[in-house]
Formats: sequence, structure tokens, C-alpha cells
Amino acid sequence: MLSIGQVSKAFAGVQALDDVSMEIGENEVVGLVGENGAGKSTLMRILAGVYTPDRGSLRLDGQPVILRKPSDANAAGIGIVFQEQSLLPNLTVAENIYLGQEAEFVRLGIIDRRRLNDAARRQLAKVQIDIEPRTRTSELNFAARQMVELAKALALEERTDRHLLILLDEPTSVLEQRDIDILFARIRTLKRRASFLFVSHRLDEVLAMSDRVYVMKDARVVAEMPTGNATVPQLHQLMVGRDRHAEYYRESRQKPPSPKIVMQASGLTVSGVYKGVDFTLRQGEVLGIAGVIGSGREGLTRTLFGFLPQTHGTLQVNGQSVRLTSPSQAADLGIGYLPRERRVEGLVQPLSVAVNVTLASLATAKVAGLINPLRERKLARRWIEKLRIRAPNVDTLCLNLSGGNQQKVVLSKWMNARSRILIFDHPTRGLDVGAKEEVYELIRDLSESGIAIVLTADTLEETIGLSHSILVMRDGQVTARFEAPPGTKPSQVQLIRHMV
Amino acid sequence: MSKMRTDTATAANWLSLGPWIRTSAPFLVLIGLVAFIGILKPGFVSIDTLVVVMADTATLFILAAGVTFVVMLGGIDLSIQAVASLSSVIIAVTLNRAGYWAFPAALLAGLAIGCFSGIVHVWLRIPSFIVTLATSGLAAAAALVMSQGRSITIGDTGRSFLSWIIGRFFGVPNVIIVAAAVGGIGILAQCYTAFGRYSTAIGAGEAATWASGVAVNHQKVIAYALSAMLAALAGILLAGRLSSGSPTLANELLLPAIAAVVVGGTAITGGAGGIGRTAIGALIISVVRVGMTFIGVNIFAQQIVFGAVLIMAVAATIDRTKVLIVK
Amino acid sequence: MDPQTGSQPSQTGETSAAPPVRNHRQGLTQRGSARLKRFAPFLALVGLALVIGVLNPRFFEFNNLIRIANLAAIPLVLALGETFVILLGSIDLSVEGVLAVGSVVISLLVRNDSNANALGWIGPVAALIACAALGCLNGLVHVNLRIPSFMATLGMWFIGVGLATLALGGSSVRVLDPGIRALALTRWLEFPLAVWVALAALGLTWVFERFTTVGRYVYAIGGGEDLAVLSGIPVKRVKVIVFTMAGALYGLAGLLSAAQLGQGNALIGSGRLFFTITAVVAGGTALTGGEGGVLNTLVGVLIIAVLANGMVLLGISPYLQQAVQGLLIIVAVALSIDRARLKIVK
Repeated sequence: MLSIGQVSKAFAGVQALDDVSMEIGENEVVGLVGENGAGKSTLMRILAGVYTPDRGSLRLDGQPVILRKPSDANAAGIGIVFQEQSLLPNLTVAENIYLGQEAEFVRLGIIDRRRLNDAARRQLAKVQIDIEPRTRTSELNFAARQMVELAKALALEERTDRHLLILLDEPTSVLEQRDIDILFARIRTLKRRASFLFVSHRLDEVLAMSDRVYVMKDARVVAEMPTGNATVPQLHQLMVGRDRHAEYYRESRQKPPSPKIVMQASGLTVSGVYKGVDFTLRQGEVLGIAGVIGSGREGLTRTLFGFLPQTHGTLQVNGQSVRLTSPSQAADLGIGYLPRERRVEGLVQPLSVAVNVTLASLATAKVAGLINPLRERKLARRWIEKLRIRAPNVDTLCLNLSGGNQQKVVLSKWMNARSRILIFDHPTRGLDVGAKEEVYELIRDLSESGIAIVLTADTLEETIGLSHSILVMRDGQVTARFEAPPGTKPSQVQLIRHMV
Repeated sequence: MSKMRTDTATAANWLSLGPWIRTSAPFLVLIGLVAFIGILKPGFVSIDTLVVVMADTATLFILAAGVTFVVMLGGIDLSIQAVASLSSVIIAVTLNRAGYWAFPAALLAGLAIGCFSGIVHVWLRIPSFIVTLATSGLAAAAALVMSQGRSITIGDTGRSFLSWIIGRFFGVPNVIIVAAAVGGIGILAQCYTAFGRYSTAIGAGEAATWASGVAVNHQKVIAYALSAMLAALAGILLAGRLSSGSPTLANELLLPAIAAVVVGGTAITGGAGGIGRTAIGALIISVVRVGMTFIGVNIFAQQIVFGAVLIMAVAATIDRTKVLIVK
Repeated sequence: MDPQTGSQPSQTGETSAAPPVRNHRQGLTQRGSARLKRFAPFLALVGLALVIGVLNPRFFEFNNLIRIANLAAIPLVLALGETFVILLGSIDLSVEGVLAVGSVVISLLVRNDSNANALGWIGPVAALIACAALGCLNGLVHVNLRIPSFMATLGMWFIGVGLATLALGGSSVRVLDPGIRALALTRWLEFPLAVWVALAALGLTWVFERFTTVGRYVYAIGGGEDLAVLSGIPVKRVKVIVFTMAGALYGLAGLLSAAQLGQGNALIGSGRLFFTITAVVAGGTALTGGEGGVLNTLVGVLIIAVLANGMVLLGISPYLQQAVQGLLIIVAVALSIDRARLKIVK
């Protein structure tokens, strides 16, 4: 029914999809699994009409289709149930189901609410949920809203004579087991009227629900199989592939950390995000945190820099018990943060390198209480040299730098502030191979000089290669710990078992 | 012109001009205007006229300089005219009894009001235009109560304390000196103090500034306090020049003040521009105003011109990469 | 997990048809507090009226209620226009300017003391069209030049006042047409016609808000503009329509003002903006958009009218009105802010 033919898509030089081909037949549930960044969500968004492919084709029932916007996808019979919900909370259930499609209920400019609600009731019946269509969406709980989204997707049936394809993007991440059972039961009955593409990191669920499963890795499809005899460990193997050569991560430079503890967490919890996290971080140590989206690791990272104060548990920095409520408090304690969203949170883009370098430590550029531009520029020049930042001069605006150089400016900001604990949040995101290797060298340099690092890396490989010890998280809790000394590093499969 | 070589780069934007042009455009416009009017009416380009223009600009500039600090952060202060009027009322009412103490009293009132605006904005997370709209009501009410709704003329005893405002120093009207001092200190603060640096950074990228450990909230409160305090200073000068104080004295000045900031090239989105640019902008506004009268353009058309100019200047200077959804 | 059938045994032991979902509402306290929040302005109004009435029973006299209605008529019309702009998540600061234009246009076209016109009903129609055009311009500038609404409408505010000043050469003009003056002077069922006009406007805008597609789209845009765009809603068109409608309503208010004062002038709307925004916000319409509506605005306008009337009855200085309104707007916005939508506030 749906043929995806050699679709490729790149963003800012990074290949998100590389020559991906897939088939989805009528009345089947097809699963799609892969690590973070494997390309699953990009593919979903292409099918939903949010992105357009750079190369390749989409065919429905043999006919090529072009999806330039979501309404094209809808017209083609493709509906999507997003992980972050796409219902407007201030509208009623009926209004949400028919958002943008009210025309059929309008007479003389006035909406016939009775017909709208009746039609909505019919859609809700398809998912066997008993909700009054006039209910305000914000009053429903999460599981019910997901059903409404499903009903909204199914409403497409009446608008197109194509076969329906419904894309499910991590539908169970936030559901309780009972609601998951209900969802799966519905999908089974709905198979008669629609096909499903089921994307999830919960491999056991994918195998339970799907007829066939595709495995993606590094922007490509690496395997496809019927789920009948497939096992979860098999999928693990396929998702991770070979382990990289040790020197890529400069493992030979990994030295044991000093015994001095700089940060310690005990029972650290943020209600609803993660709970009961314990760890110790020593001077010179790289602590890696592994986990998929929704594992709670992003929240933990944010807590360590004051964005998300803990609700329970203790955090000690340099022996002092603290509750970090703002980045300025964290920075005062000698903690630095290299954010995932480099362009938004890492650098003030429209301003120069010099300004950005001193932003967290303006006192170093001051003489007698006033900023001395000469001193500031000297400092900036020093860091440009030390970190080999490729910028024409200190006045270059940061938005004109490449990703790798921007990252170095962010790092120099914290080094100028003499931070002793650095939090690296997806540090090599969007960087090319050369830039990545430079970052790995820098991490080794920092480690050697006694700086402690908490690393939330983009790939498992990076986590394993760079860290001294690793915390694995899933669904908000720490599920495993690994020591990763050079030469006896854990394998990716060992980690992934505790992540999904 | 601002000594900081910052410039907000605008993305592919049909109204954006090359960076060099954007930096010097206001200055060129000013020269061009003076030349244009000078050609039509040669009497305009005399020292006397120009000094009068600058003296007229002084109060406007001080008002606009205050609001510049807030705009650099990406906010707006709609209470400046109410604070200035209140300040004039405080002067008019207390000058006779309190003598020179009236001046710090007025400035302190401004400071307090500005702190209030800033704290409410930061603590309750209420958008700046609403907070300052509300504060303007509070300031206006205070002025009305203090003056009982009337305009108060300052008597002879009071006027002696105001002589420094209407006086001259080696031929230069004192107001110009005060304005120049404010401008000088303002530019210094902007370029060489932490406050100035942080203000620009907050306007140019608040998320990154916050994530760099800067105490953003403190900075914001200081900016609003400064804005109101300078508005109070402007009110003092107005009281001096008009020898009276009234609760609506400065009401007509809100638009020209904001226009001065924007026309000078400071983007309403924040992070670029500064006090120096505001000075040019204020001069442009004044030249246009005085010039229109000189040429004989209907003064009633002036409001329309200002409104249109404001919109065009904003459209030209705004950084659209900053706002994905424009509300 | 049973690999043969692919089904997962649930905790109740069932494997296929699970029962329909029953409990799908948010927790009772969560819903309760959300409902309370929505009724708070109305309760505040009732509370306020009771307090004033207890302190001065003359508050409840019929004549006083008429006075309150009269006090609220023009602000209600203004606030109705502003409501839809705020529902979008934008703001309209041009109220006073457009109102001025409305009052001036009608004053100059009907029988007046400054020229020989006496165009009767053409006057009001022209005023409404002129003001709607100004509103439309607001919308187009905001949407096409992508200038924040508060800047675009700030400019229009002064353009409006400027146009009015220009048209009148700086003075004012007296309205002599009895038909127009009747709006303020004639009564029907004890209430001035202006009040009925305001109520009619309320009725029409309520129908617009609840029953028209564009009305629902306003809520969608305010509730989640990116989502609205993705759903194929013509966001730009809706925004321009809303600003145009607001302009027309401000024009209507200008008409009523001219009737009330018997004249048109450029400063006729002075101070109205503050009242208008306070009323909309105090009634419970959120500044962030998507929440509230015209009925909320009615409550908000009444709160302020009752406050103003009450302050007079209780002998409180009228000068304090602005201060009270200022505090009211802060409290109202602070209470309505949805802290879950924590983004950078400018």
C-alpha cells in the first residue's frame, strides 16, 4: 500500500535519512525501532507531511504522492498520533477531531454543533471510548487524550477513499499498563480498517503488536523481519552494530580519576521525571549517563545546572549539600554547562566571540570595576589559540562560526570561568567527524587537568568510549551501572539491555 | 554611535540593509534632514536655531535614554510619561518647603516605581507592556492625588531653586549639559559595566545569558528602575522649563520617546543599538518636529507622520530571526 | 508475551477485547480548581457588588443600576473588540486613536456646527467603515510585515489621533443631528439606547465566538498557533479579520462617544485603553490567548464599572481609580498566568 523508496534527508549537513526504503501493506501493523538519532522520527515526520525528502519517493497504491504539508498527508489517508500531543487543550473534543475540517458542518456561516458532536461521537465509537464530545480537552487525562488523537486520525477515513495509515509515535511512553492494554486491544480491532506504523523504544511491545518490524541505525534501514520468531536480544544486536575502534575516543588517554569526590547524589528525585538517582563524581572523572528519550537523563542533566531543582533527595557539591534553583547558583559553585541547544542556550549568537567568552566570568575582563576591552580581547585571543578555534578574529559574531567552533567558544566560556565541574549535554550534536574528534581530545585534556565531567552523549558508542563510569537509565530510574576502564569497556549490547 | 561593535544580523529579510548601512543610516538621515530643511529655509542652520533644537531634545533624550535600557533587554516601558508627570508634580508641590531636597525626592519616587515595575515583571512573569501600563496608572493616580487634578504653577521662591535648569553655562543651556552627562554616563555604562554588557546579552539571547549563570532577574529590575529614574529626571527638567507641574505634563512624550529609540536604530527585539543611537534618534525626532514647523507643514499632521515613521522604523530594524511566531 | 498471537496478557487476564475506557477525566481536584479559576471573575463581581451594597445600599437602587449600565456601555463595546485580539494572543493598543477617528468621521458627516453636511445614516456607516479599515491596516501590517502587534497598533494609535486632529484642525466639532444624540439621550425600557446597542454588539460577538468557524479558529490560534498552522487553518486571514472587527467595534464606540458628548474630537478616547485592557483581563481572558471570551469581558467591564460607581458612592477620591485599575490588572494577569507555559517573558 505505502512504498517508501530510497528516501534521503539531511539537516544542516547531518544525514538524518540515507536511502531508506520500506513497505507497509494493508491491514498490517509494522514496527520501527532504532536508537536515538537513527532516523525514526525524521521518517515519521516526512510521512506526516512536516518535512519533505531531499531525494526518493513515496508511493501510495502504486501512485507517487508528494506531501508538502500536513493536510496533504491527511488527504492521502495518513494520520499521526504524536508523542507530544497535538490536541488544543482549550477546545472541545469534537472541535479537536474536526480541526480545520469544520466546513462540512457549517450552514450559512454558523456551525451546527449538534451535527459536529454527533459526528465526533461516531469517531469516538470507533475507538470504543465513552467521552462526551462537548468536553473540554484539558479536562481529559493523558490516556483519554491519546484515544481522542486516535479517533482524530481515524476520522480521516471519511475524507479519503484511500486506505488509512496511522503513525504511532511512542504511544505508550507515558501510559500505565492498563491503558497500554486498552490501546493495543483497540489497535488490534482497528487493523481491519487501517494499517499502523508503530515506533517505540519498548521492543517487547513492538514485537507483541507488530506483524513485521524494521530496524534503523545511523539513518539507514539495517534489517526487516516478521515478528513471529524475532527476539528482543536480536533487535538489540541489530540496533547497535560494531563497536568503534578504541582510539577514535582516545581511550589510551583515559587515566583513572583522583579519589577526591566533587559531586555526589543520593536518592535524587524530580517527581514525574526521574527518581532515586545515586552517583559519585570524582575529580578528573567522566561520568556518562545513557538512556533513551524519556529515560529521565535529560532531566537529571538539567537538575545539575539549576534548571530543574530536585523535589527529593540530596545533591552535594564539593561536600556542601545544595539545591540548585538557578544556573547562576550552579555557576557560582564552579559548575559549567554546555547545552544541547547550542545556538539558543550556549552562545549569544548575534554577539562576538570575545563577549561570549567572558560572559560567565566578566570579572576577569575588568580593571577597577569597568570592563577593559583590551583585556577582554587578550583573554579571547588566548582561548582561540588554546582551543584552536577557527575564527577570523575575536570580534567575529558567533553566528558566523561553524558548529564545532561554536562548541569550542562555549567551552572556553566555562574554562575562562575556571569551572571544575562541566556538564556536557549532547556535545557532538550536529558536528562533523573532525570536529567530534577535537571534542574528544578536549574532553581528555580537561579530564587530565582534574575537571570532572558529566556526559550525556548523543550515541552509546560515545558514552562508552569516553566515560570512566556509566549510569544507565530507563523510565526515570537507574537500571544499571558500569565501570568503563580503557581496554575493558562494556559493549553496547550490554548497555542497551538496560535502556529499552 | 554605540562604541560596541554589536549588530543584530537579520536573516533573509527584504527590509534588512547591509550591516554598515544599518549602523550609519540614522546618522546619515539626520544629516540629510538638516541639509534638506536648511536648503528650504536657510535660517534653520544657524547656531541659535540648532541650540534651541538641542535644548528641546534634551528632555526627550533623557526620557528615551531611560527606556533604551529596557528596550535593550527586549522589553518596553509604557510608564515613563506618567512617572515624568508625577515627578513634575512632586517638584511643584514640595519645592517651596523642601528646597533642593525636592529633586532627590522626585528621583527616588522614580526609582521606587521602576523597582516595582521590574520586580512585578520578573517575579509574577507578567509581560513588560502590561506591568508598565499598570504602573503608569499607579503613577498617574499618585500625581492626580498630589496635585488634586490641577496644574500647579511654581511660585517665585520655588523658581529660585530651578534656576540651574534654565540657566546657561558658557552659553550652553544647562539642559544640554545634563543631557550630555546622562548620555555620556549611559554610553559608558552600556559599554564598560557589567550591567550594560548583561543588558545587551539578555536582549540578544536571553536563554544563553541565563544559562551562562548571569543573574538575569536582577539585571531586569535594575533596567526598569533606571528607566523610571531617568523619566523622573526628565520630569524635573520639564518642571523647570515650564515652571509648573501637572499630572499630564509629559503625556504627549511617550510616543516621541519610543520613536526616538526605534528610529535611532535600537531594535525593539533588543540586543542591538544603545544610548548613542537613541541620541541620534532623539535629534531626528526633534529636527523633524521643529523642521516641519519651519517649513510650514501642518502641525496636526505630525502625529500621523510619527506613527507611520514608527512603524517603518520598527519594520526595518526588527530582528525576525528572533521571533518565529509574531504575536 | 505470547509470540503466537502477539497478544500481551493484561493484569486482569484478558487477552483480546478489553472493556471500554471508563474513567478518563483528570483528577477531581484538578478539574475543580480549573473550574473555580474560570468562575473567579464572576464571583469577584458578585462579591464586590455585595460589599459596596452593604456599605451603601443606594448601590442597589434601580437608578444606580442604570447609571452603571450607562457607565459600562462604551467600555463594553471597546472591550469586545479587544477581546478577540487578546484571544489570539496579541494586543491592540490603537483603541483610543481609532475611536477618535470614528467620533470625528461621524461628527463631520451628520449635521454639525462646523460644515454644511447632514448626511444622516451615511455618517455612522462611514464611521464604521473607516474604523474597520484602520483595524484592517493594523492586521495587515502585523501579519505581512511581521511586526509584533503591540508595536503595529501603537503606531496606529497615534496615526488615528493624528488623523482626527488633522481633520478637525486641532479643535472639536459639535454634533447637532438629533438622531445620533438620541443614542445617548433617548431611553427604551428605562435604559439609554447606547446600552441596548452595546448589548446588541455583545450578542453578535457571542454568536461569532461560539458558532462561526472563524470564531473557533481564533481560539485555536490562541491555544496553539503552530498546531493551528499545521492543521491548515488560514491563520493570517483570521488575524486580519479579527483586527478589522476590532476596528469596527472601536468605531461603534466612537459613534456612541460622539452621541454621549455631543461632539467629536481627537482626544475623546483619552484614557480608554487602560480601562479596556484591564476589563478584558479582569474578566478572565488570558493574555496568552485561547482562554476567555465575550461573556468574560462583560463580567470584567462590569467589575470596573461597579468599582468606579462604588468609589463615587463611598466617597473615595476618583483620582484613585487609575491606581485601583492598575493593581487590578496586575492581580488579574498574575492569577491567570499559566505557569506551565513557562517561556521567556519580555
